[in-house]
Amino acid sequence: MAVTVKTFASTSEAAGALSADRGARYLGGGTLVMRALNEGDVSVSTVIRASDQALTRIDASGPRVTLGAGITFAKILAERDLGFLHAPARSIGGPAVRNMGTVGGNLFAPSPYGDFTVALLALDATVAVQGGFGTRDIAIEEFLQARERQAGTLVLSVSCARPASADAFRYHKVARIKPKGGSVITLAAHLPISGGRIAGARIALGSMAPTQIRARAAERVLEGRSLDAATIAAAASAVTEGTSPFDNALGSAWYRREIAGVHLRRLLSGQE
Amino acid sequence: MLELRKDIFADERDDNLNEIGKGTQRQDMLGHVTGTSSYFNDHKLQGMLHLKVVRSTQAHAQLRHIDTTEAERSSGVRRIIRGADVPRNLNTLLSLINFGKDDEPTLAVDKVRYKGEPVVAIVADSEREAFEAIAKVRIDYAPLPVVLDVEDALKAGAPVVNGTYPKNAFIYHDVHDHQKLRFGDADAALATADHVLEQRYQMSPIEHAPTETNGAIAAPDTNGRYVVYTSTQALFFSVDTCAKILDLPSNTFHFIGGTVGGGFGGKVDTLTEPLAILGAMLTGRPVRYVFGREEEMQYGPPRGAERIYIKDGVMRDGRVIARKIRAYFDSGAYTRLSSYAAVKCAAHLPGPYTIPNVYGDVYCVFTNRTPATAMRGFGVTAMDFAIECQMDKLANLVGMDPMEFRILNAYRDGDMKAHRREAKNTALIECVQVAAEKAKWPIREEFKRASSRKDGGGSRAVIPPTPTDSRSRPAAPVQQRTSYDRLPPAVTREPPREPPPTAPSPPPPRPAAPSHGAPRFSSVFGTRRR
Repeated sequence: MAVTVKTFASTSEAAGALSADRGARYLGGGTLVMRALNEGDVSVSTVIRASDQALTRIDASGPRVTLGAGITFAKILAERDLGFLHAPARSIGGPAVRNMGTVGGNLFAPSPYGDFTVALLALDATVAVQGGFGTRDIAIEEFLQARERQAGTLVLSVSCARPASADAFRYHKVARIKPKGGSVITLAAHLPISGGRIAGARIALGSMAPTQIRARAAERVLEGRSLDAATIAAAASAVTEGTSPFDNALGSAWYRREIAGVHLRRLLSGQE
Repeated sequence: MLELRKDIFADERDDNLNEIGKGTQRQDMLGHVTGTSSYFNDHKLQGMLHLKVVRSTQAHAQLRHIDTTEAERSSGVRRIIRGADVPRNLNTLLSLINFGKDDEPTLAVDKVRYKGEPVVAIVADSEREAFEAIAKVRIDYAPLPVVLDVEDALKAGAPVVNGTYPKNAFIYHDVHDHQKLRFGDADAALATADHVLEQRYQMSPIEHAPTETNGAIAAPDTNGRYVVYTSTQALFFSVDTCAKILDLPSNTFHFIGGTVGGGFGGKVDTLTEPLAILGAMLTGRPVRYVFGREEEMQYGPPRGAERIYIKDGVMRDGRVIARKIRAYFDSGAYTRLSSYAAVKCAAHLPGPYTIPNVYGDVYCVFTNRTPATAMRGFGVTAMDFAIECQMDKLANLVGMDPMEFRILNAYRDGDMKAHRREAKNTALIECVQVAAEKAKWPIREEFKRASSRKDGGGSRAVIPPTPTDSRSRPAAPVQQRTSYDRLPPAVTREPPREPPPTAPSPPPPRPAAPSHGAPRFSSVFGTRRR
C-alpha cells in the first residue's frame, strides 16, 4: 500500500485527519518522519501536512514568547529576540537538520534527540495542542509524560516566559561529536534569583530517562538557597535521583549517571 | 601538496617523468564538483523492482521454520528468494585467489550467525511494498549460545560460530589456527631486559559511513546477459564473486561502476550485486537493492575490532631488545577479509623498528558479530596505534625523549625484518626528524645526524638463531611451491631449524583447481622471496 500525503489549509482539518487515522503521522520538517519512511517504518501509512500560517508565527515581543510548532531551529537562530534559545537551537543537528527540524517535531524526538525540548522543560513551557475536540494548553511536563498518547494530537505552538536575566537560564549538551552528535546527556537549568536566593528552580535533563525529565531532587536542593559552591555540590550529588538512564551506542547508563553531576556542577558554576 | 625532500632523497625520483610527481586533475573531478557525476542509484529503469532482505533478529540461532505464505500474498510482491534459490549459496570472498574456505551463505539456510544476517529476500514493485511484506515474514528461531569476545571464542567449549572453522579461528594452510612470527628468542631476551612492559590495547569496529550506501541495480540485457550498475569499489572482484555465487560465466555480466559515493574498504564485499542479479534473473525485470542507512551502519561490514597484547623488553640505554605480541582480529561471523588482515599484521610486526627478538601470534577469530572487512590499512592500523602507544610508554620508562627513542630504534636500509625481508627505503628516521623540525620539537644533534641510509645492515641484517616452538610441527607443508615462489639460493642465512627438516615428505595433493582460475598472491600466501 502506498503512502498517502494529505495537505490541509487549516490546523483543525489537519488535526481531524490526524486523530481519525492510526497510521497517520504529522510531517513538520521531516527529519523524523521521512527518516522513518525511508528506513521502512510501515506503521506510517498517511502523512499529514498543514499549510496554516499560524504554525510558523513567532511572537517574541513581550515577556511571554510563543513559537509556532512549525518554526525551525534556523528561524530561531535568525531571531535576535530569541537569544536565550540560541544555545539549544544551535545544539541540534547540522545546518541541514536545523533548517528543516521544527520546535513541534522536537517534542516527539526520541532519545538521544529532543534537546530543544529539554530547554523548554526547564523553562516551564506550555504546549498548545489541537485534538478532535478543539484546542487546549498543556504543561510541557504533562505533555511529555503522556507523549506516547499524543500521536493523534496536533501541536500548534509552544510558549514560555522569557528568563528574567541571561544568567537565569543555562543550557549544555554533552555530545561525542561536536557540534552535531546525538546527546549523551543534555542539561538545562532555569534559576530565577530573587533577593540573592533561587526562587522557582527548574532543572531538566535529556537522555536520563525515556523522555526528558526534571531533576526534582536537585531543584529542591537549590530552592531558596544562594548559588554558592556548597549548594552546587549538593545539587550535583542529587541530580541523578529519580532518573532512569539507559545504555546506547553513545554511552552506558552507568556513564550517564556518573557524568550528570559533573556537568550540572560545571553548568551551575559557569564553567560551561 | 606532497613534498619530496630532495635534500634527503636526492636520487629517489627522476624529476623528468611525465605523470609521476606532476599535479594531475582527476578525470572525474569536473563531474563531482558540478554535481553531474552519475552514480549507480541515478538509474531509474522502466519496470524496475525493489529488493529488500529480511534480517535475523538473533545473533546466533537455528532457523526452525521460515513462513513466507502471508508475505507472498502481500500486495506488490513479485518474488520471494530463499537460500535454496541461490545457485551456490556458500562463498568466501578470497576464494577468488584460492585463500580460505567457503563459509558464508548469501541467504542463511539452517542457522543465523550474527544479528542482521540476511535470511529471505523480497522483490516487490516498490520499496514500501517490500517493507510491508518483510513485516509479514515469520521466522521461528531456536536461539543458540552467543560468543561476542575474541578471547572467549578461542576457549575450549565456546559456542561454534561458523561450522567451517569449528575452533572459531581461521585456519591457515589447512593446519595453523593463527599466523606465527618468530625471529630470535624473545623469551630469553625478555629475561635479560632492564625493563619489561606488558600492555593490552583494544580497538572497536569502525564504520566507513559512506555518503552513498551499498547498492546495485541489475537489469536483463540481450543475449541472456545482465547489466549491473553498482556502488562496488572493486568492480572486477565483484564480477567474479557474482559469477561464482550465481554459477555463471563472468561474461554473463556487464558491470558498470567506478563512480563510488565513498568506499574506504566498505564496498568490496559484494553484498548487494548477487541478490540484485538473482532477482532480475527470477523476475525478468530490473531489480534494485540498496542498503538503508541503518542497514549500512548496523550490518554493512565495519573495520574489524582488534585486541592486542604487547610485551616489550627495553634496556636502560633505550634499545628495545624484545617484542612479544599476541593479537586477535575479530572477523565477525564469517571470513570476508580479516584472514588477510592477520597476514598483513604478522608481516608488519614489530612495526618500523629493528628489534632483534620478535615473537608474534596473530589470530583471526570468529564471533557472533557483523562480519568485518577492509578499511584503510586494515591489519596494520590498530597494531600501529598499539605499537606507537607502547613506544611512548617505553620512552617514558627509560627517561628518553619519544622522538629520539624512535630514531634510536628505527629500522634502517639493509636491516633484516622479522619476516625475513630486507628493509628498503625505510626513511622513518627522516620522517621523525622532519616531524620534529616542523613541530619545533628539540632533538639532540646526534639524532639530527642519524640517517636511515647509514649504519643499517651488517649485523643488523643477520637472522638470529630462532628456537622453534616446542609443539610438534605439522607433518607436511601444505603450501605447494611453484617456480614462482622458489627460494633463490642467496637467502640461506637463516640457521637450520632444530630439528632439521627430515626427508622431504611427499608433495600434498594439489588443491582442487578453482573454477575461476584463481591466481596466487604472494602478499596473502607469504611464500614469495626476493
